[in-house]
Formats: sequence, structure tokens, C-alpha cells
Amino acid sequence: MTATLSPASTAAPPPPRTRKIAGVGERLSAYAYIAPFFVIFGVFGLFPFAFTFYVALFDWNPIGDQVFIGFDNFTRMFGDPRFWNAAGNTVSIWALSTVPQLLLALVLANVLNHARLRFALFFRMSVLVPYITSVAATAIVFVQLFDRDYGLFNWLLGLVGVEPIDFVQSTWGSHLLIATMVMWRWFGYTTLLYLASLQSVPRSVFEAAAIDGAGPWQRFRHITVPALRPVIIFTVVTSTIGGLQIFTEPLLIATGAPLTCGAVRQCQTLTLFLYEQGFGQFEFGYGSAVGVALFVMVVVIAALNYLLSTRIKADR
Amino acid sequence: MKLRSPLLRAAAVLALLTACTPGTGGGGGGDGKSFEFWSFSAINQKLTVDAYQAKRPDIQIKLTEVGTSTETAQSLTTALAGGKVPDLVLIQGDNLPQFVQQPQNFVDLRTLGADDVKDDYLDWVWRQSVAKDGEVLGVPTDVGGMAVAYRTDLFAAAGLPTDRAAVSALWPTWDAFIETGRRYKQATGKAFTDNAATSVFYQAVNQVSEKYHSADRKLVYSTNPQVKAAFDLGIKAATAGITSGQSSFESAWSAGMAQGQYAAVSAPSWMLNTIRSTAPDTKGKWDIAKIPGGSGNWGGSYLAIPKRAKNPQAAWEYIKEMQSPQGQLEHFVRVGALPSTPLVYQDGKLADAKDPFFSDAPTGKIYTDSLLGLKPFYIGPDSAVIGQEFLNAITNVEQSGGNPATAWDDALRNIKTAIGE
Repeated sequence: MTATLSPASTAAPPPPRTRKIAGVGERLSAYAYIAPFFVIFGVFGLFPFAFTFYVALFDWNPIGDQVFIGFDNFTRMFGDPRFWNAAGNTVSIWALSTVPQLLLALVLANVLNHARLRFALFFRMSVLVPYITSVAATAIVFVQLFDRDYGLFNWLLGLVGVEPIDFVQSTWGSHLLIATMVMWRWFGYTTLLYLASLQSVPRSVFEAAAIDGAGPWQRFRHITVPALRPVIIFTVVTSTIGGLQIFTEPLLIATGAPLTCGAVRQCQTLTLFLYEQGFGQFEFGYGSAVGVALFVMVVVIAALNYLLSTRIKADR
Repeated sequence: MKLRSPLLRAAAVLALLTACTPGTGGGGGGDGKSFEFWSFSAINQKLTVDAYQAKRPDIQIKLTEVGTSTETAQSLTTALAGGKVPDLVLIQGDNLPQFVQQPQNFVDLRTLGADDVKDDYLDWVWRQSVAKDGEVLGVPTDVGGMAVAYRTDLFAAAGLPTDRAAVSALWPTWDAFIETGRRYKQATGKAFTDNAATSVFYQAVNQVSEKYHSADRKLVYSTNPQVKAAFDLGIKAATAGITSGQSSFESAWSAGMAQGQYAAVSAPSWMLNTIRSTAPDTKGKWDIAKIPGGSGNWGGSYLAIPKRAKNPQAAWEYIKEMQSPQGQLEHFVRVGALPSTPLVYQDGKLADAKDPFFSDAPTGKIYTDSLLGLKPFYIGPDSAVIGQEFLNAITNVEQSGGNPATAWDDALRNIKTAIGE
């Protein structure tokens, strides 16, 4: 038995062993290929993210002492009217920008999906132009359009005898101004998402409905909207997460007091409050605590999204 | 618990702003033949750098105009926390206390010979850059002084005098200034001054003997009658309907200046440059009168050398040369910034200087006179925040329809929220 087996056992091994080594090298090289992303993500994404939680527990002066204070920053935050003001502004601006934006995108997508629309490609590309325009450029133009003394809108209002409105200095005016900018920037992107989803709905379904006597509104209500439900949920969630992080627009509109977005923080959002505390007052610890709060809000919304989308799947 | 490692500080910056390079530890180690200089934009710093370059062709200067004075201070903070620091940096007076609180970040200029030149400078200006153990962190480059710039053509149209002595006599006090505003408004229906917060309150509150702190450095902003009086003047101006409601330096303010929407604006010496560049077409239509109350100072900057600078010696030589009394006098001739070195106040180049943009007003004399009766007060690390909240409260009444009766209490509450005491 040993005599018959021994030759085989000596002849067989070498090839698998080399193959195994090559296999390890291959497997490692795969990690090497994806490493650049993960190294950069780790250094500039994951580490700062985790470090924010750490800094939030300190009274952290970037050029001075860092004193451990436990959860004092959070206690202070919950009692800070400026934090709640910023949270309220963020929600208000989000609602003012998201609801009209999604409705407008829905209507536009429906129009752009129309079978007899000429130059469809041109219109479909055009709606994306605001999205690729820089936020700063958009902000500068809109601030001028809405200016109290020299703005186009107040000039038009003046023609019909309305007193000039100081958009930036009033609470609702500044929210409206920022919401308009956000809407202007994002509606094209949302429209294209809806359009892509609409085009997967067979045209024959619309035609069959039309033959059965369904008007445009009924077709919209009973075919378009149900077909778009998953992507609508998706855009609501992404725009909510984006809406919680609105920063550049409020920073740029009140040039007299940029970090607070005006004298009474009338349009200061949470991210701007974070920035003001971190880089205006150099309270890195407190700014980080606001960042953690923001993170928790985003997680809660993402969780809601998960619940909603699983329920929708179950419905179908 | 204290974390002083440069790496951890770098990480702190990364935590909020994801772009930064870790610090490299101690200073020195440069070639001594070059240095990096961070300054503000729009103050023509390049002229002065070029002048030095002409004197010292062997030195290479890398000038970076970071942005506004506030942005420069923010960039400096980030750099000190763990990035690449410049060898020389300009810090505006309002931002200075925050750095003076942390002297370990800067070279103590006494080690380079600051004590030898100390007596050249206005003592109360010099003292603002001295830290708790006597470290000297900065050399003052200029002071603001105070005055009011006004449009002679608009004053004439309103039936007001236009001669600078007669205009100065119109407003010995801020109440008289507001009263003049009412007269102007009645005659023309237009705004008299740009805004109440900066042009009235911020000037008046810098003319006090004690501001937000007492002489022994305790916070007294809520109880100091001088602060309350300045605030009340601001509210009075805001509710008198004499302002155009444009906050200083915002775009509508610039446009309003170019179009003559307001006839008078508070103008420390550095503001003259702003007016010149904002409204170049109004050349010759301006003149300069005394500030109500007679004296005061707004602004002024300092040059400092960060501890980790590679070429502290080259930077110090620049300071010594360009900020000497003679250097500052030449700087005044070039750009009009008022020297912080009283030795040259009698020099003909300054005392007899006239500015054609402002109807040949004797700018040197007007601004140095405004420093004569000045009473220095302590400026603390929270002074900028306190001042900003007061400004905001007045702007709120002026531009956002805030209630003037509760403005003071609102401001105090906001300050307490911001600084915790």
C-alpha cells in the first residue's frame, strides 16, 4: 500500500502549491487596486468622521488647550436657542425648496416624456444646466436679482406699486431666496431621474389608457405617479439629506454678516452654525457636537427611508 | 486633559475641514534668504513688498493675499493648528486678542530685539500685542484714527455747510450728528448715513474710557453706562430714519456709495482707500470732517511671526525695515495708512499731506489729531463677539423691523449665549 501510494504523493504536489501562491498574490493585488480609494477615504473621510465624535467631548481650542468636558457640549447645545433656531431654519428652507422642486420635476418629467415633444434631447439636456453651474455663481446672481435697492424683482414689484422688499434681512424672505436657489440648482437633476424612470414604463400602457378614455390628469395620477413611487422616495430622501446640509447659499447671501446669515441669524442653517462655531469662534468641540447632532438626524432619516422602501416593496 | 501634539492638532483640523497637511514641529531651518508673507487682499500690500524688494534684492518674498482680515485670521488659525505656517502674517486688531491668549504659537519678538524699537510706537497700541507673561507677539503697522467722510455736493444740495470746519462744528456730539441727519433727510428725503450699527454705534463705543472690560479685565459690557450710551445712540440713529440701511462692506453698500445714496460715512484712515476704490467716479466730491466726540480709533493691524516659521530672522528684518518710523511714513505716502509711530506725526510729509480725492483735506493732520485725546481701554478675547452681537441687535432694529425697546436686552441675552457669561 505504501509502495503504490508513495510515487503518486511525490509526483502530485508541486503545481497546486505554486498555483496557491499565485492565487494569494492575485487576491492581494485586487486589494492593491482598490486601496487608493480606501486609503484616501480612510484619511479624509472615515478618520475625520470618527474624530469628530472624539473632539465633541472636549473644549477644543485649535491653537490652545484641549480640555475633556464629557457631554457638556451636548448639554449646552440642547439649551442653545441658536441651535434650535438653526434647526428650524434648516427644516423651513428644506420644506420650501424640496416640495415645489419635486412637484415641478414631476410635471417637467411628464412633459419631457411626451411622445410628440420636438427637440426632446435639447430640452432634456437644458434642464441640467443649473445643476452644473457653480453654487457661488448662482448665489451672486440671485442675490442681485433679489436685492432691496437694485434688484430686478423689486423693480418689477415697484412697477405695480409694491414697496421694495428686503429679502435678505427678513426671515421668510431669506428662506424663500435660499429655497429658490436650491430649487433652481436641483430641479433639473430630479427631473432627469424621474424621466429615466418614466421611460421604463411601456408607452403602450399610456396609449391603452388613452384609448380607454383616461384624460391627461388621470394618466398622470394613475400611471405616472405609481410608476415613479420608488424614485420619488429616493429623491425625497436624498433631497432631505442634502437639505440638512445647505451651506453655501446662506453663507453667500448676507454679505454683511455671512457666518450668521444676517443680524438675527434669520437664515443660519445647521451647517452654517457648525461652521460659525468651529471656524468663526474657534470652538471646535462645540462645532463637532453640532456635527454629531447633524449626523444623528441624517441617520434617523435614512432609517425612515429604509422602513418606507421595504414597505413599498412589500406592497407590490 | 491636554493634547499638545502637533499631530493631534492637525487631526482636529481634519475633523472639521478635510484638507490639511500635518505640522512639522519646530521653527527655523530656512535659507534665511526668503520668507512667506500672508496679508489681506485689497490693501495694496504688494506696493510695500516691492519697495522692500528694491532695498533688499537678495531676499525673495512670497506674498499671499489670503482674503479679508477675518479670513486671514481663520487661515492662520488653521495653519497654526497643524498646517504650513507663513514666516510673517498680518493680523487685524480685532482678531489679535484671540492670538495673544495663545502666545506659544508665536515667536516672542523680544528674542529678536523688539525691546529696542518698542519706544518708537504708540504705547497703547503696542500693549495690545503683549501677552500675559510679557511676550511681544506683534508690531503695530498702522492705526485707524477716526473721522467722517461726507459728500460736499450732497451737503450743498441739502442746504448744509460744505466747509470742513463748519461741518465739524455741526456735530460736536453724536446727538448733534443724528440731528444733522434729520435736517438732511427733511431737505432731500434721502438717507444721511449708511447705517446706524457701524457708522454710529461702532464709532461711539470706541470712544469710551472703558469698553466691555473694566481696567482689571473683568467683563462689564452689561453694566458699563458708556456702552449703554453708545448703544442707545445706535438705536436712536436706526429709528430716526436717517440711514440707508446698508451694512458696511456688503455689495449694496458699495453700490449705494457710488450712487450717492448716503452723504456721510464714518471713515478711519484706512476707509479712505475703500472709498477711493469703491466709488472712483466721486473723486473731488468728498471731504473729511472731525468725528463727533473728537477722538477715537478704529482698526489697525499687526505683523507677527509664527513659532514654526522657517525664516523668522528674514521676516524680522522686514518688520524692522518697513515698520520703522521712516518705513511707516513712506507707507503713509504710498497708501495713506496712518503710522503707529508718533515720531513722524510732525513730519511735513504727514502733517502737510493733502488728499485730492477728498477735496485736498489734510488727512495726516485730521487723523493724528483724532488720536490725541484717545483713552486706551482693554480689548479681550471676547470683545469681537460682544461687539458683533451689539452690531447685530442694532442692524436688526434698522433693517429687519426688530423692536427697539427690547434691543438692549436681546443683545445681552445673545452675548450671554455666545460667551457663556
